[in-house]
Amino acid sequence: MNHKERLLATLAGIPGDRPPFICPGGMMTMVVSEVMDQCHSFWPEAHSDPELMAGLTLAAHELAGIENVGVPFCMTVEAEGMGAQVGLGSKESEPRVERYILERFDQLERLTPLDPQSGRAAVCLEAIRILKRRAPELPVIANLSGPVSLATSLIDPLLYYRALRRDPEAAHRLTRHCTQELQRFGEVLIEAGADLICIADPSATGDIIGRGAFLEIALPYLNQLTDHFKERFGVPTIVHICGNVKALGDGLSQLSAHALSIDSLVGIDVLRELAPGRPTMGNISTILLEQGTPEQLARASRRCLEQGVDILAPACGIGPRTPLANIRAVAESVATPQDRA
Amino acid sequence: MARAREEILQDLADGVLNLDEELAVNTAHDAVEAGLDAYDAITNGLVRGMNRAGELYDEEEYFVPELLICSDAMYAALAVLEPHLKKDDSRVRQRCVIGVVEGDTHDIGKNLVKLMLDVGGFEIYDLGRNVPLADFVEKAKEVNADLICLSTLMTTTMNGMATVIEMLKEEGIRDRFKVLVGGGPISQAFADRIGADGYADNAASAVRVAKKVCNVAQAA
Repeated sequence: MNHKERLLATLAGIPGDRPPFICPGGMMTMVVSEVMDQCHSFWPEAHSDPELMAGLTLAAHELAGIENVGVPFCMTVEAEGMGAQVGLGSKESEPRVERYILERFDQLERLTPLDPQSGRAAVCLEAIRILKRRAPELPVIANLSGPVSLATSLIDPLLYYRALRRDPEAAHRLTRHCTQELQRFGEVLIEAGADLICIADPSATGDIIGRGAFLEIALPYLNQLTDHFKERFGVPTIVHICGNVKALGDGLSQLSAHALSIDSLVGIDVLRELAPGRPTMGNISTILLEQGTPEQLARASRRCLEQGVDILAPACGIGPRTPLANIRAVAESVATPQDRA
Repeated sequence: MARAREEILQDLADGVLNLDEELAVNTAHDAVEAGLDAYDAITNGLVRGMNRAGELYDEEEYFVPELLICSDAMYAALAVLEPHLKKDDSRVRQRCVIGVVEGDTHDIGKNLVKLMLDVGGFEIYDLGRNVPLADFVEKAKEVNADLICLSTLMTTTMNGMATVIEMLKEEGIRDRFKVLVGGGPISQAFADRIGADGYADNAASAVRVAKKVCNVAQAA
C-alpha cells in the first residue's frame, strides 16, 4: 500500500495496513524552519510561488516523514482573492488578514469573485498540478478555509458574532456566499489533481459560538461542501474542528465529513463516542511537538494509536520552530520495516 | 410616579443579562428620572447583569455572541448614566495595559478580557492586536500601569510573552508591574515557567485573577 492508497482507504472506512501520519496543510501547516533551511524555499516567498510552495510540502514529506503533501500554508488565499488585505508574514509567522473588505453586512457587492486563475489562488492551483506530477504516490490535499472562517476574514468577527444573534439572515447571506466561492475553488483544485479536501473552520468552534450557533451557521455549509465534493467527484473531505468539541455535543456526529480531526483538548476516545463509526484523526499536541523531546512525542503518538486513532496527525498547525526530530519521532511511531527500507 | 430603586436595578441587570438593550436603555432613563444615584445604578444594576452574563459564559450557557450583545446593552445604558455620575464617584482605578502579542491577530479573547476588566473597575489601555513586544513595556511605563495583560491564540507567538517579561527584567522594572497571560495554548504551567504573575483560562476568571494579583501588589 502506498501513502495515497492507505489514506484514501482509511477515509473510505476500509482499514489499511496501518494508520497513516498526515499534516494536511492550510491551518494545519506542516512547514517548519528546518525544512525551509534545507530545501532553500522560505516563507513568505513560498506563499506566492507555486514551485517554492510545492517544494516545501514535498521537502516536509522527505525530511520529516509526513505522508502527504498539501497546500496552501495559511487560511488567507480565499479572503485575499475576495478583496481582504493580507500581509504575508515572515519566515516564522503565517499570512494574516490586515484589513477586512466589509464594514457592514449590506456591502456584499464589494466582494470580488474568487478567480482561481489569478493571484495566490492560481499559485495553489499550479502547486497542486506540480505535486500531482512529482508525487503520484502521495495524497495531494487541497485545504480550504471553512465558511465561517472565510466570512470572519471578510468582516470583523465581532460584527459577525453579533449578527448570529441580531441579524442571522445577514450572517447567512455572507456565509452562503462564502460557501459558493469555496465550492467553486474546491472544484478547480480537485480538477487540478487534489485527492482530497481538508476544511478547517476555527472561527466556528463550539467554545466560541456554542452548539446552537454551530448547528445553525456552520454545520449546513460544511456539509454542503462535503456532500458536493463527494457527489460530483467522489472526493473525500476531512473537517478539522478546533477547541473543545464536547461543547458541540451531538452536533459533531451530524457532520457529513469522511473523517473528523480534533484539537488535543479532548481524547480520541471522546471523539469516537461523539461521532461513532467515523474515521478519527488527531491529535498530537502541537505545543508538545514544539517544546517536547522525541521520546515524549513517541509516547504521545503511541497513546493516540492505543486509543485507536485512524489517522495520526497534529492537533493543530505546527509552529515553525518545531524541531524536525520531533515530527520524525511521530512518523517513526507508525512506520513499518517496509517504510524504513 | 418614580419607580422603586430595587425594581430599576433589577431591570438594568435583566436588560444586560437578557440581551435586551432597549430595556437596559429605557431603564437607565427611568433611573435618571427617578433621581437614582448613577453610581448605584451602574454598579448594582448594569455591572451586576454583566457579571451574571460572565458567569453564564463560564458555565458554557452563553457564548461569545451572547456576551457581545450583553456588553452592547451595558455600554448603551452606561452612556445614559455616565453624565450623571457625581465627581467624587470617579474613584482611583487600577491601570491595565492589554494587547495581543506580535504575530497574532486573534483578538476576540483579548476583547472579552478587556470588557470584563473594564466592568471590573480597571482603567484600560488597549494596544490592539499584533502588538510589537516593546510597545507593552513602553505603554506600561508611560501610563504607570499596575497590570500588563498579554494574549495569544497561537503556539507560534506565545514565546513573545516570555520576551516581554525579559524586557521588563532587563530594564530593571519587572517589580513595577503584574503580568497576566492567557489565550488558547497558554496554561498555568507555561505562565509559571515564563515567570508571569497570573494566568486565566477565560474572561470571567481573568478579572478574578487580575484583582487577586493587584490586591497582593497593594498589600506588599
